[in-house]
Amino acid sequence: MAGCLHVRGADPPMLNDLWDIIVMIDERRRIRRRARLSGVAALLALAAQPAQARLVSWPEGSMLMTANDSRAYSLMYSYSTDARTAFGYTLEYWREADWQFHGVQANRLLKRWNFPDAQANIYAFGAVGGAYSTGGLTDGDWEPAGFVGVEADVEDRRYYASYEARLYEAGSIDGFFMQKARIGIAPYVAKFNETHLWLLLQVDHYPESDDPVEFTAFVRVFKGNLWAEAGVSDTGEPLFNITFQF
Amino acid sequence: MSFLRTLLAAAALTVSMAYASASQVVSVQVNGLVCDFCARSLEATFGKRPEVASIKVDLDTKLISIAMNEGQDIDDTTIRETVIDAGFEVVAIERAAAP
Repeated sequence: MAGCLHVRGADPPMLNDLWDIIVMIDERRRIRRRARLSGVAALLALAAQPAQARLVSWPEGSMLMTANDSRAYSLMYSYSTDARTAFGYTLEYWREADWQFHGVQANRLLKRWNFPDAQANIYAFGAVGGAYSTGGLTDGDWEPAGFVGVEADVEDRRYYASYEARLYEAGSIDGFFMQKARIGIAPYVAKFNETHLWLLLQVDHYPESDDPVEFTAFVRVFKGNLWAEAGVSDTGEPLFNITFQF
Repeated sequence: MSFLRTLLAAAALTVSMAYASASQVVSVQVNGLVCDFCARSLEATFGKRPEVASIKVDLDTKLISIAMNEGQDIDDTTIRETVIDAGFEVVAIERAAAP
């Protein structure tokens, strides 16, 4: 829209002023919508305050997760029917393309390897629902949307590594592939019910983005049913995730 | 003599009843127990069972100690199934009377 304003600069003064007013009104509308959305997200994040970060919780356990990074913020509630399957609701807001995803998500532990001192997992997940555009050419549009993904992790009490890949489809609003890898180390080995601390490095890859690769360093702290992650990316963007399990 | 027999029978009955109601502690060696999440998962799963008085998880030894309520027990097959259902593997199960 800002680009259009400069082109219109060659128009007669009255038309130019009118165009400025239209742009200003549109911008205010967008700011108000973002403020509303941020307020809702903040409330949801607060609601998520009191558990843990895995795609599937213990049998009949529930999880509330919020995740915020430079690209998106999200909220997910899931209920695990058993140790392998969870269902839930997911809300995501993608900042760059300015759209929300609302949908039902299913997570499935495909395979777990249990070793004496380590564990490795492969998960598959997917969600179906709707995409709501809050900006750009598709502003105000709804489209059927969904995503599918896989996640693999391996950890012992000192080291952690994971990989995740997702494919999004949201009709005319958006559609992309992304992948993420994490490595971590615990500076000390904590016992059960003590405060656990991890130092992690995450690399995100969004092949279709203008800025496709991003590194984020963050700390993970978990104690009891609460799991929190906070850090900053190489572009100076904050990361903040909370998981509560109950 | 008859009195002595009755006394011995009563004593045996008392000892046997006391033994039957003594609480047990079952120790289970588990594979895959690497984090608080795993420990909490087993704690939550066993904590739901009415036979369980308390559960302790030791991440160092990979051992879960399940104290049973007096006079109650969970058989090895059920313990094994419960641990597997929670997503882990049983290496060994040992039983002892509570101290």
